[in-house]
Parts: sequence; structure tokens; C-alpha cells
Amino acid sequence: MPPGAGVNVPNSETVPLVSARNVSKSYGSHVALSDVSFDIEPGITGVLGANGAGKTTILGMIIGLHKSDGGQLQVLEQDPWFAGSDVRMRLGYAPEHHTLPPTMQAADFVQHVAELHGLPKTEAITRSSDALWLVGLGEERFRPMGSMSTGQRQRVKLAQAIAHDPAIVMLDEPTDGLDPVQRDAMLDLIRDVAERFGISVILSSHLLEEVEQICDGVVIIGEGRTLASGSLDSLVNSEATGVVVEVDADDRAVAAFAAQLQARGASVTIHQRRVTIEGSDDSVFDLARDVCADEGLGIVRMSRRRLSLEDVFLESLG
Amino acid sequence: MTTPNPIVPTSPASPADPANPIAGTAQIFDQGYRRYEGERTGVAGAMSSLVRATWRQALGLKRQTRNKLIPFMIIVFAFVPAVVFVGLAALLPDDFVNELPTYVEYYGFVVAAIYLFAAFVSSAILCEDRRTGMLGVYLSSPLDRRTYLAGKAIAFCTLLFIVTILPILLMLLAYSLQNAGPDGFGNWIETFAKIVLSGVAFGLVFAFPSLAVASTTDRWVVATATNAAMFPASAVVTDLLVGEGNLTPHLRLLNIPGLARELTFRIFNEPQASLWSRFDNPTWTLVLAALGWILVSGGIVWANYRRLLVRR
Repeated sequence: MPPGAGVNVPNSETVPLVSARNVSKSYGSHVALSDVSFDIEPGITGVLGANGAGKTTILGMIIGLHKSDGGQLQVLEQDPWFAGSDVRMRLGYAPEHHTLPPTMQAADFVQHVAELHGLPKTEAITRSSDALWLVGLGEERFRPMGSMSTGQRQRVKLAQAIAHDPAIVMLDEPTDGLDPVQRDAMLDLIRDVAERFGISVILSSHLLEEVEQICDGVVIIGEGRTLASGSLDSLVNSEATGVVVEVDADDRAVAAFAAQLQARGASVTIHQRRVTIEGSDDSVFDLARDVCADEGLGIVRMSRRRLSLEDVFLESLG
Repeated sequence: MTTPNPIVPTSPASPADPANPIAGTAQIFDQGYRRYEGERTGVAGAMSSLVRATWRQALGLKRQTRNKLIPFMIIVFAFVPAVVFVGLAALLPDDFVNELPTYVEYYGFVVAAIYLFAAFVSSAILCEDRRTGMLGVYLSSPLDRRTYLAGKAIAFCTLLFIVTILPILLMLLAYSLQNAGPDGFGNWIETFAKIVLSGVAFGLVFAFPSLAVASTTDRWVVATATNAAMFPASAVVTDLLVGEGNLTPHLRLLNIPGLARELTFRIFNEPQASLWSRFDNPTWTLVLAALGWILVSGGIVWANYRRLLVRR
């Protein structure tokens, strides 16, 4: 069997790319992960969590650097601890730090990483060039990385992560240090990698906004536990209940409107001229309409409440 | 240079023009990122790439000139005596050629260059990877800590053999061409083998202690300075302890440059040039000491890397 042939990309219809079941990991008395369970499906998945939540430990376990103390972790249908080399051959990884070898040319670096992942030399040379063109560094590929800007180095890291055509690419804070324009360009590139080339992306980030912008799925880790996981749509929609009503009124009238709603048994929260009414059925719409009519208020907007990822994150943290 | 990526036209030029045989077979070639379906070279390929990258890293190849300066200067220093001796052998009358240093005595002229090279290169290849985060990149490839360290050790030792073997082989070849080499093919092969064996032993005795020092710090300047000081210090201290302190002669086995040189004298069987008494330090104790240095130093490297928290 040729090297790497033992690793198959799972059938996306049946088997998740990464599957964790009750995974635990401790370092001495410190519990890094406790009964963590989640699935990562093809597409772009964001791994979210505060510093020290356990994100790095999970990434390390997916790469096969750490052995779990309990539970089962499968990456590309293999246990990364026992099949570490085979699994890592099909993984791309872009580290968080920017301190790449300063004297090394970008093209040499990307070629070297491609060779490390099993590409023959001639193929690695070709693909390093292609990957650097893809990320917009074609003209800069023979520059030493020490002379590159943070944005360029982030692109080099993406290029080296995808040059060997991985099944999964893991990006650790890929927009760290970028200005808004560079950030959007990087997110477009990541989306491109996933959609045009079918490479699944696991994105570790603490920026909820960018995760919400490009991710299909989310795993939220907190204090070593899985707080939430699943597709972004299902998480945002399942958590959202109630109706948001924006009325054309001053603060006093908004307060009176809210008081009327509460008098009729509704649970409400006020944010400027927006009133959120809790409730899961359509009668909430009728209630809001009736109270507005009674109070003589104009309705600017009335819609089902939609949570942002930040809401989900904060709620899952409790 | 990229491999063309053929895009077969969805509606090829058909029917083919009989007057133009090229028509209908034309393809548009595109280049750009695409999927890779070929075989992968596995851990062996990754180690091979690591070894080659380490050679480039240590010698500053494919980097700016200032990165090449120190390693190539040391290599030149290691070769200069050989070139001088070869020149003298060519210029001097035959009677004086026998007065030139023997192969094994050559190490006395270049021992400083060898330990400087070991100090500089070991620090460059280990410390830089940790400082620049390359270690994390390596460990997220098919390499693990064992194969990473094995690749680094292979690359380092082969580089050291450039300065411990090649200059003396150059002397052997030059002397042989001037009819001043070993007599007969058998003797020539035996001398060749002794030179290689001596160079390997000499290189290994310096290689592993310097790697052990380099594994303890991320700062290559600190590692280089410590290594450069450690080798002569081990000689001075043990000589003082044995010579002035009248302690056991076995303490000399802690003298790394002395141990390396004495091993080469024993390999060439040149007792008249030997540094140490064969009664006080039998050859088997030298071999054990060399193995001890290699194993203990290798153990220190492994212990440091096994518990190293990889920065990502």
C-alpha cells in the first residue's frame, strides 16, 4: 500500500471528518478537556472559545500531538494518536504565530512543507508556486519571509497549509494582525479554498464576527467542555425564540408599550426603540400588533428574533 | 515553472479539418492550484526533506550571503591545513615529505574548527526551529518528535563529517597522486577506512554533546557560546584534575576533544603520537566513554524535546 493510501476522505454523506466522543484530557491536576463531544462536517467549521478554553488542546489532539485520556477521537476515520503520520499527511496547518524563518524564501518554505507532507520534489515545486499565486503572492514568492508584512506572512501560512492538497486545513487565528481590508480578503480566500477546491477548513478564532461570516459549522468550547456544536444555521435558529418589534416612538412611549406587554403576561427586554418579546408561537406577533394599536404606536419593523453568533456564544457560556 | 493543466475542450474542433492535422487535437493549457491525486512519499520522504532543509539551514544555502559566512569560513579553516600540506608535499623534496603531519595528526590542526563548526551548526539547526515556530510546523506534518530529531541528527552528523573526513581524504588522494600515499592497494583501502572511521568517531563525539546543549535553549547565541566554551573547558578542567589534582586518569574520558583525538590515534594505531597512556586508559574505556557521551547527550536531547510544549 503506498504511503498515505490508508487515509481516505470520508464520505461526506455518512461520516464526519472529525468526530469526538466524550474526549477528556488532563495535564496533571489541570483538566483541559472534559467529556468533549462534537462532529465536524465538510465545509468551514469554526472552533470558538475564550483563551484557555481548550481549543489548542483539541487542535493538538486532531493533529495527533496529544493522546486523549478517555473517549474516542476520529479524524478522517482514524485515531490520530495511533495513525498520526497518515492523518497528518492529509492535514494542512497554519500556525497562529507570525515568526516564520526570516531568512527563508516563501517559495522554499511552501515547497518544503509540501514535501514534508509527502509530495515528490518536482510536484512540490510546482504546487508551491501555484499555491502562492492563489493567495496573491506570485510576484513575491522569492522574497525572504522576514521582509514580508504580517498580511503577506498570513498568506504564506495559508499557502503552505494548502499546497499539498490536504483533506482538512486547520487555520489558527488566520486574520490575526490584519487590517479590515486584508481581513476580508483573507476570509474570501478561505471561502475560496473550501468552495472551489473542496478542502474542509477548521478555523480557530476568537473573532465571532468572522466565524459567523464564513463558517458553516461551529464548535464552542468553554472550560474544557463542549458548550454547543452543529451547523451555524441550526445553532442560531434553534436558540432564537420570540419577536423583535421596532416602534416609532420616544423612550417614554416605548417604556409604556413594554409595560402593556408585560401586563398581558409577556416577557420583554428593551434596547433603545427595539422591544424583544419572548415566545415561540405566532400569537406573539398578534400580541405585539394589538398592543401597538392600543398604544397608537407605529411599527417600523417586526420580525422573528434572530440570534447572532455572539448571542449564542454568550448564552452557551451562561 | 508549473506543469500545464490540460483543459479538454467540451466541444472539440470537429469535424477535424483534413487539411490541418492539428485541428481537433488542440488543448488549452492552464496553470493554477488544483487537486493532487498522486502518491505520497510518507515519513521517509518527510525525513529526506527535513535533512535537506537542515543542510540548507546550517550552511545558509538559498539565503543571503551573510548567512553563509560563518559556516563556510569554518569549513575553509578546516581545509586550509590540508591544502597547505598537499602543496608542501608537491614542492618539497621526497625526503621531507615524511616529515609532514600524518593523517591522524591532522585533527590536531583542525580540532578548534571542528568544535566551532559543531557549536555553530547544532545551535542553528535546533534553536532556530523552536524560536521561529518551525517545530510546530514539522510536528503537524507526518514527522513526530522521534523522526524529527532523527532527521536533525542525521543532517548534523553528515555536515560534521564534511570537516572531520573530507580534508583528510583530500590529503590521502593528493599524497597518493604524488606517490607519497600508502603503499599498495590493500594499504590504501585500509588507510581510507581508518580515515572514515576516525572521522565518524570524531564527529559523533562532538555532535551529540553540542546537540544536547542546543536542546536546552531557544537562543542560538547562548547555545553556540556554551558549546564553544564547553569543549575546551572540558579539556582544561580534566587535565587539571588528573595532572595537578592527581585524581584517577579515567577522568580524562570527560575531556571531549581529548577523547575524540585519542580515539583517532587508537584507530590508526599510532601509540607514539598518543595523548594518553594505554595502560591508564585502555581502548575499551575510550569506546565506552564515547558511547556514554553519545547516549547521555542523546538522552538529554530526547528528554528536552519529549516534554517540550510545542508553540503553535
